[in-house]
Order: sequence, then C-alpha cells, then structure tokens
Amino acid sequence: MAKILCSVATRGRYFTTLPLVLNAIINQTRLPDKLIIFDDNDDPQDMRKEMLYTYFFQILDIKGIQWEWLFADKKGQHHIHQRANSMGFEWVWRVDDDAIPEPSVLERLFSYTALNIGAIGGSILTPPIPRISASTGRITDIDIENNIQWGEIRAQKEVEHLHCSFLYRAGVHDYNLGLSRVAHREETLFTYGLFRKGYKLLVVPNANTWHFRNHEGGIRSETKEELYHHDEQIFRNVLKFKDKTVVVLNGGLGDHIVFSKILPEIKNPELFTCYPEVVPGKSIAEAQHLFGDIDQWNVYKKMDLWKWKDSLENAYRKLYL
Amino acid sequence: MIIISPYAKKLISGKQNPKNYPFWRELIALIDEPIIQIGIEGEEQLVPDFRKNLPLAELMLLLKECRTWVSCDSFFQHLAWSEGKPGIVLWSVSDPLIFGHPENINLLKSRNNLAKNQFLWWEFVPHDAETFVFPTIVLEKLACG
Repeated sequence: MAKILCSVATRGRYFTTLPLVLNAIINQTRLPDKLIIFDDNDDPQDMRKEMLYTYFFQILDIKGIQWEWLFADKKGQHHIHQRANSMGFEWVWRVDDDAIPEPSVLERLFSYTALNIGAIGGSILTPPIPRISASTGRITDIDIENNIQWGEIRAQKEVEHLHCSFLYRAGVHDYNLGLSRVAHREETLFTYGLFRKGYKLLVVPNANTWHFRNHEGGIRSETKEELYHHDEQIFRNVLKFKDKTVVVLNGGLGDHIVFSKILPEIKNPELFTCYPEVVPGKSIAEAQHLFGDIDQWNVYKKMDLWKWKDSLENAYRKLYL
Repeated sequence: MIIISPYAKKLISGKQNPKNYPFWRELIALIDEPIIQIGIEGEEQLVPDFRKNLPLAELMLLLKECRTWVSCDSFFQHLAWSEGKPGIVLWSVSDPLIFGHPENINLLKSRNNLAKNQFLWWEFVPHDAETFVFPTIVLEKLACG
C-alpha cells in the first residue's frame, strides 16, 4: 500500500481554523500514514499544553497515525511543501490550515491514483458557491476563467494546474524555491510542473474541501506588493517559455560537453549556459532572473535525489527528454 | 605523441583535488615517446612541452594529432570522448560508470574507494594516493593502445 503523508502548513491559526482542519483529518475514512504540522508562526507555542490539541494528539496515537509537529523556518510555505515533498513518501496530501476536507476526501482522491497520475484535487468551496462549469483548467486560460476547483466538480476532468489542497505524487517535481516568502502561485507552478513532466492532473467529484477564507493569520499573511509582483513575474516567465524546453546548465565544462551530445534530441530548447562556446545560450544570471529557482535544473541534485547509478549523459536525458 | 591532462579543477579550499593522479612523474619517466601536457596557468609543469590555457579548438586539433591521451577525471576525458578519440582515464573516488565513457580505458583501483556520495562537491573528499592504480599498470595499457 502506498504511503501517504498529510502535510499542514500553519501560521496564526492555532485557535481558529487549524483545530477544524486537524479534526477533519483525524476523521477521514482513509487515514494518512503520517501527519506533519509545519508550524510557521512568528511566536510558536508548545501546543501539547492546550487541552484541545492534547486530545488531537491522543486520538492520532489511538488511530495509529504517526504525527510530528515541526517548526518551520519562516521562508514561506513553498519551503515547507518542498520538505514534505522530499521526505520519501509516495504521495503527499497537502491541506491548508483554513481548508476543511469532508470525511471521504482523501479516500476519494487516493482512489484515482495510478502510475500516470501526478496530482488529484477536489472542489475547494467557499460559500456562496459560484457556478463555474465552463472552466477548462488549462494554464492558458488562467487569466480568463475562475479556478475550476472553486465550483462543484460534477465529473472527473483532466486539468493543467491545481489549487490550494490536493494529493500529489511526491519526489518527482520540486517546488520553486526562488519564489518570495509569500509564495504567490506556488501551487500553480508546482502542479503545472508535474503536468509538464507528463503526469496527468485530475479534478474529481465528491471530494469537497470547505475553504474558510480567513483574513487573519495564514501562511501567506504578507502584504508587501513587491513580493507578489516578484512571484507573478516568475510565473509569467514560466508561461512565456511553456512551449520550450528550458535548459539551465549551471555546471562545469565537462558537463556541458556531455550535455551537448543530447542537445539534438531536445525539442525546442531554450538554453542558459556557463560555457557558450560549447553550448550556446543565454547567461545563468538571466535564468535566475526569469525563473527564480534554477536548482530544478541542477543535474547533480537530481542524480542525488534519484540515487543515480547510470551515466551522466542519461541523467541529462531523464532531466530534459 | 601522447597528451596528458594531469589535473582536475582546483578546489576552492586550496586542498588537492582527490581526483588528481599522484604518480605523474613516475609514469612520465616510464613513457618513451613525446608527451604534451595540457592544463592551465598555475598548474605544475611535468614535461618540457606544457601548453597552457588552450582554446577548445586547439585542444581538438591536438587530439587529432596524438596517438592517445592520459587524463584524470576532468573535462578533458569528456572532450576526447566527444571528439571520438579514446584514451586512458585514471580514476580514484569518482565513479567511471557515472562520469566515464566505456569507449575509454577506465583505470579504477577499486570500487571500494569511491566516494559514498558522488554528487557533492569534491571539497570534502580527502586526497588519497592509495586510491589510484600504479604507473606500471597505466604503462601496460598505453602499450596496448
């Protein structure tokens, strides 16, 4: 049976919506194998002293759900999600600290998992529920339609990005850690990245999560306009290059030479390199400016992640083809 | 003529790169044909003909002219592979199955010496002369080539 981690990133909601979220997770018809609460509060507290939480922790023990309460480093929720993403679980169910899933949500989402599936989401509903059946869920329509998950989903549908809370295949795509601490568009970029890797993203019916939009607290409680602008610019640049295979070679001369052998196999490449005399391209600084985090193209980091035993040449193939 | 490329990229710490072959002088003393050393300014000169900071185009020309080449695990083995010129690579802690090319003669003393993590900086791996093959073994392979 696949191992599922449920991750909840929280800030400023100890006594508002977080207890509702934890209660909903505890009462799922399909329980996660582990629950981790990533506490990103400015003034974190030891919640074992709070009666409500004491009961939650005991119930988790009784139900056999491993759990941890980890203190996050206040760099933004994308860093938290990346920690969850790289913890060795097969699937991660990410639940926002103001999103309360109905009891069968995890069971429903998990029932759609398959080898070609990257992520599955249900409806994320805030009353009054808008009628948005015409939404396509395509990335190119993101500016002209409401998010498909904001309405009641009546049938399974393939989409290109997901929002808020969903179940995803862990360890195959990284969160963009180049985003600012507000992590604007982080889940859109992440799920679209899964889609670009060839995995299907699904929205499915009868998996409703109630989103208690709460202006107080929240992992994104940050108002600096320039941070949103910075993240939006990265998102727009990713869209701008969506029909290209972006290649960032931030490595040595030898790496460039090895890579040059597979370059003819890459469709429509957009190249950023250190040795343009070997592989002509724009500068690495430009890649950083455009996409924020360029570690997603770090072949050494990937080989480490993949526990790679094959050749460097084939590692480049896996990364880019 | 044989090309030798003795040194891998310098480490930031100034320590010796664990991929640098420690027995070049002994090996060179055994070789009875002209040798051209290639490398960059600041590296130790081992033979009279040391060509520093050559552009890639000139290195490619040299590769065409040489009988074969001997290198540590550096960019040069990749360049020669790319140019279709097989040679000898002297390995120690990096894994030839990952970073090498089967077209070359890859001389690794023992896989037990390989660094546990192949994908971190070499800064943290100590140089150990015991991890390299002896010059006599290199010479045998040179004679075969």
